[in-house]
Amino acid sequence: MLLNLDDSRPRVLRRAQWSPGVLCAAICALQASAAPAPTPTVAPAPADLGTAGFTHVKSLGGIDEYRLDHNGLTVLLAADHSAPVVTFEVTYRVGSRNEVTGVTGATHILEHMMFKGSDAFNDAKGNSIKQMLERVGGQFNASTGADRTNYFATIGKENLEGYIAIEADRMRNLWLHESDRQSEMTVVRNEYERGKNDPDNVLVEEVTAAAYVALPYHHPTIGWRSDIEHVPISKLRDFYNTFYWPNNATVTVVGDFDTANALALIKKYYGAYPHSPEAIPTIYTEEPPQTGERRVVVKRPGEAGTVIIAHKVPNGRDADQPALEMLDAILSSGKNARLYRALVDQGLALSAGSGTDLHYDLSLHTLYAAMNPGTEHQAAEKALWTEIDKIKASGVSAAEVARVKQQYIAQDAYKRDGTAAIASELSEWIGVGDWTLYVTFPQKVQEVTPADVQRVAKKYFNEDETTTGWFVPVAEKAGAGS
Amino acid sequence: MRQGLMIIMLMLSGSALASMAEHAQRANTAGIDVITYRTQVKDMVVIVAALPAGDAMAESGNAAVPTLSGMMLDRGTKLLDMFAIADKLDSVGAEVAFEVGTQSLHIKAKCLKKDLPLVIGLIASELRTPALLPAEFAKAKQQFIGGLQASAQNSGARAREAFERNIYPDGHPNRPHTLAEFVAAAKSATLDEVKAFQAKYYGPAHMAMVVAGDVSDADTRAEIAKAFSGWSGGQDFIRSSAKSSAASAAREVTVPLADKPSVTVILGQATGLRYRDPDALALRVGTAILGRGFTGRLMAAVRDREGLTYGINAVVADDSISDGAWDVSASFAPALLQKGIASTRRELDRWWKDGVTAQELAVRKQGIIGDYLVGLSTTGGLADQVLINVQRGYDVSWLDEYSQAVNAVTLAQVNAAIKAHLNPESMVLVEAGSVGPSPH
Repeated sequence: MLLNLDDSRPRVLRRAQWSPGVLCAAICALQASAAPAPTPTVAPAPADLGTAGFTHVKSLGGIDEYRLDHNGLTVLLAADHSAPVVTFEVTYRVGSRNEVTGVTGATHILEHMMFKGSDAFNDAKGNSIKQMLERVGGQFNASTGADRTNYFATIGKENLEGYIAIEADRMRNLWLHESDRQSEMTVVRNEYERGKNDPDNVLVEEVTAAAYVALPYHHPTIGWRSDIEHVPISKLRDFYNTFYWPNNATVTVVGDFDTANALALIKKYYGAYPHSPEAIPTIYTEEPPQTGERRVVVKRPGEAGTVIIAHKVPNGRDADQPALEMLDAILSSGKNARLYRALVDQGLALSAGSGTDLHYDLSLHTLYAAMNPGTEHQAAEKALWTEIDKIKASGVSAAEVARVKQQYIAQDAYKRDGTAAIASELSEWIGVGDWTLYVTFPQKVQEVTPADVQRVAKKYFNEDETTTGWFVPVAEKAGAGS
Repeated sequence: MRQGLMIIMLMLSGSALASMAEHAQRANTAGIDVITYRTQVKDMVVIVAALPAGDAMAESGNAAVPTLSGMMLDRGTKLLDMFAIADKLDSVGAEVAFEVGTQSLHIKAKCLKKDLPLVIGLIASELRTPALLPAEFAKAKQQFIGGLQASAQNSGARAREAFERNIYPDGHPNRPHTLAEFVAAAKSATLDEVKAFQAKYYGPAHMAMVVAGDVSDADTRAEIAKAFSGWSGGQDFIRSSAKSSAASAAREVTVPLADKPSVTVILGQATGLRYRDPDALALRVGTAILGRGFTGRLMAAVRDREGLTYGINAVVADDSISDGAWDVSASFAPALLQKGIASTRRELDRWWKDGVTAQELAVRKQGIIGDYLVGLSTTGGLADQVLINVQRGYDVSWLDEYSQAVNAVTLAQVNAAIKAHLNPESMVLVEAGSVGPSPH
């Protein structure tokens, strides 16, 4: 909806926004004095909490996972009583990776259509989800990614039942009217157009499309323009009826709630639905090996160019990801970062960084330089490669690794301030395929050694597996605009 | 029944939440207006601060000097170079950032409780004894100019600049320089100008600092006193100026930018109002009914019913210190631009002529208060709110009193404020983008 930036946000710039390296740290494990990384523990099921009808799956880092026996709905509960608010979020394990040619962007359009109402809750009745949440001052939205779609609100705790009732209702009772599709299509098209105003967004889209040839990450989450305009309502309905089932969803509650009451409410409203009649489709497509460098160039009016160097790296659950995260922090985090020193401080770039767009399947690692006007693309690209080659040849220092580990310890404290951020990050890990990485990923980063960083640099940053993109600014065409 | 209970709860919220201000302690420490606030968060501390040293303080001097002065703060002190400062912060995961706004130099920091002395000490050193090395100044200028040039094709930034230059008169603190003026000023700026600016404006006299989170008031003040002792100087904000006229002549401004599939539109005017003026809150509440969130009239009509835009909203803005502005902003595809503007004007005219309804007001007041309280549930959100309250001239008690003030706004006040301070027929309309034929 309005503030959903997932489709248009240049993912290469996203490390500081959600990438686990910045936001992720164990809820309770990493204390400043802890020398060794603590071991995750699986706690026994909380007793006497009104869990009838639920199976306790596991508890980790202050988060309890349950399964609603009746229909397979996954539930994550993270209590935090520091403020009288609660964030409720439902994450569907469906994203643009589940789309094919002709229906690209369908996941995202469906996300928009989820605000159009149902027989029970709609604008005419004055009780639609946006009316309810804006009446009580809730902060709410929805977002679509490659691997998941989520809907969420942060509200006063007294409003929890009202929100769960509507959120659960639209899981299976959504209106999907052609008239609504027509008006919402132009809304989504304007969202697409806004994204295209920024040449860097276009560059990221084209680099991604070139990097992936078989996996559906090839196409942008917002979809191709022609698909946005022409996807029929029947296809959206098929999509909804295939993926919007309790056994393909996780509801997450973070904040000031009573466990027994929260589970009772979830059971009351989500328990009404059966398990999906058909198995949720799986993706069996695999990306073929890349056997040579790929290059894309975007030319648009502008003043300063951009260089992106992309490599496919393993899925977000892979054991090498913590070392890649450490590498990215050393390259990108703060003024002491290697890319800042080599590119920004030397006047080649306005900003430079690196990060991984973590995925359920192959992830995409990117290095970027937003160039100073006047910098040659070759010079920026060479400078990025020089820093990678240094790590491949000489590794990183123990001091650099230690510094990043301390940053993670501080992030552990920062992330406890606010329920919405916790729920949001959990949702990203759900999309990657394992919510427990919210807790364990930071612990694994604490175990990374300098040798690990050098190893993954050598393993993944090979020239023949590179996709390089340049945004080349050009002068405005004569007569452009009015 | 449920809604009725909710309204009663919110009506009681002023007294029920009276404890908010009780968590805050405000006193002058080392010449700085320091507010500490203990929240429930463990181990974390947030610092937000501001002092009058923003772009407007350039006055008739070099327009780039305030920003360049701010950019030099994390580029080394007399004792530590830029990388040594970064190393101290990075090694404990602390963050310190400086940002120059219209009237303020903002400081934002976050750290673990144990590292508060380090962070306060570094902020003090950066403000009091910046190195101001010529080589670093040259880099700062290059980055500033490069950033300005890179924003030349940003339709949102260009639309905002054109709008503000058309509604604020010369000499008004909210009137921005053009991009070209900033670039030229940055190129000619000297280190001596930066030194003179810092000497004149950087001081505790009108500085406010909020330290929130897992803090001890006494310990925090002791650290601030130690770090800032002996610091002096500083100037006040520009509170009186050539006041904007709410009834400027209507005009349309086009900012042509090539290859922009979406046009940024801003429609509005100066209000002549400051945040604390008598009609200001009523105008804010009325504006929320028109253009806040998904249920605002603009989103309901122009987006939901007509499908003309991804986003459209209305706000009262930039009025915390000086008199500010009112505007509607939206984006439209070039082919839908005229239709979008017509729909926007239709909703604006209806709102202005007929006013809002009692039902709309009741619901919106409830939503504004709820949203406000949710926003205070994080330490960062609370600290930001306390600082802006102080800048607006309120005491910390306004944290509690705000909800009561919103609840007290009447229908007559809202509709009168809309009529008194806005005039759709004399608003400025800005369109930035590829205003011409489009593919659909």
